[in-house]
Amino acid sequence: MGEVIVVTSGKGGVGKTTTTANIGTGLALAGKKVVLIDTDIGLRNLDVVMGLENRIVYDLVDVVEGFCRVKQALIKDKRYEGLYLLPAAQTRDKTAVNPQQMMKLCQELKEEYDYIIVDCPAGIEQGFKNAIAGADRAIVVTTPEVSAVRDADRIIGLLEANELRNPKLLVNRLRVDMVKRGDMMTIDDIIDILAIGLIGVVPDDEKIIVSTNRGEPAINDDKSLAGQAYRNIVKRIMGEEVPFTNFDEDSGFIFKLKKLFGLQAN
Amino acid sequence: MEENVISFKATVNGLILIMREEDDFETVLEHVEKKLESSGRFFKGASLAVKYRGRKLSTAQAQQIAELLTQKTNAEIKSFEEDFSLPEKEPEEVEKGWEKPKMRLMFFKGLEEGLTRFYRGTVRSGQLVSYEGNLVIIGDVNPGGEVIATGNVIVMGSLRGMVHAGADGNKEAVVAALNLQPTQLRIADVITRSPDTKEARQALIPELATVKGDLVYIERFLPQYKG
Repeated sequence: MGEVIVVTSGKGGVGKTTTTANIGTGLALAGKKVVLIDTDIGLRNLDVVMGLENRIVYDLVDVVEGFCRVKQALIKDKRYEGLYLLPAAQTRDKTAVNPQQMMKLCQELKEEYDYIIVDCPAGIEQGFKNAIAGADRAIVVTTPEVSAVRDADRIIGLLEANELRNPKLLVNRLRVDMVKRGDMMTIDDIIDILAIGLIGVVPDDEKIIVSTNRGEPAINDDKSLAGQAYRNIVKRIMGEEVPFTNFDEDSGFIFKLKKLFGLQAN
Repeated sequence: MEENVISFKATVNGLILIMREEDDFETVLEHVEKKLESSGRFFKGASLAVKYRGRKLSTAQAQQIAELLTQKTNAEIKSFEEDFSLPEKEPEEVEKGWEKPKMRLMFFKGLEEGLTRFYRGTVRSGQLVSYEGNLVIIGDVNPGGEVIATGNVIVMGSLRGMVHAGADGNKEAVVAALNLQPTQLRIADVITRSPDTKEARQALIPELATVKGDLVYIERFLPQYKG
């Protein structure tokens, strides 16, 4: 029996889709059978980020409307064994699916796949309700910005109201240099406000932009800092204990990396 | 004398007397009597539950009409009361969204000459332009945009979105564009996608896509001169 994990944030543009793509790919690389579901009907992106846009024939709406079977709509990612994408429809809107249908679909997929990662649209309306309907766990993505944290707080409240206890926090796009200067919220600041468990911190990384544009998840890139962070997050999702990379102190990963390239003199 | 002062309507549960709000009780009574005289025998021996709507009646007035009903129809009036249920709505014409054309035996045949829609403007992501016939887009089709026609599709611009020609099964349908770079191209039930390696094109090369057998062929349709 698999597990349904919803990736949500409230605020747009904090990296839900990128996170979904990377976690999904990471789980598949670890030998799991994974389905990614894009529930952002009308503004689908996951297919683009995964580089599978041109393979879409049927989509989520076709499945719930009974126009095709689930198997027909799942796009197999040829690069990663065991990774499938169920894309959203682009020419419809969120009302084309209801939470009951999503719940049924998740139940059906759980029978056969180890992980179902649901990419949630921004906002707290119908699309959000659809995305969380069948979920067992939730990952709340936020960036170290007051507005994003505010929205994450709202989302955590809504998740708890919908019986999704213990959501995990993923802080995305952290800039260590700015945190050091005191210009950016620290992880501790964020956890103070949100009071939920941390599942990972992803540093700001230019490579993410390159990889999303190319349609190749960054988790596969050994040199990418963000990729490394995602690899740790995937391990934590699978229940492994992985120590958190300490970005704040000089003994941390970044320091070592910088030292490696001779960027820091001490 | 006006015709529509009162009317009777039969329902599953019995009879409904519909009155107009503006008429006074005397007029209503008069019309009920008249109506029953002409058609009251129809109900003879029946057992009816009658409701009224459209106008408030006092208990005395209601009783008066109930008595009149019994008298004139020889039917057993089980009850006479105001109808509080909402009037039945006429089944609304649901505005149907555009449905995916089903593959059918009799597909659109006007490929040489036939119905054609001209769409002016850019078809952006999330937009769907469709037509039961040929479709000409005067503008671009962006990635995420969809163009579906049962006939030919001609794009007078860059075609970068999804295109489906001959959507009801006509393999003779063609797709032509000034710059043919669709994310996906479908003709009838044949589906192809552009190669994963992206070639950067400078100039617009008008191309035509056709189906032979189960393969899509893409070729230039302008004569090529060597410079």
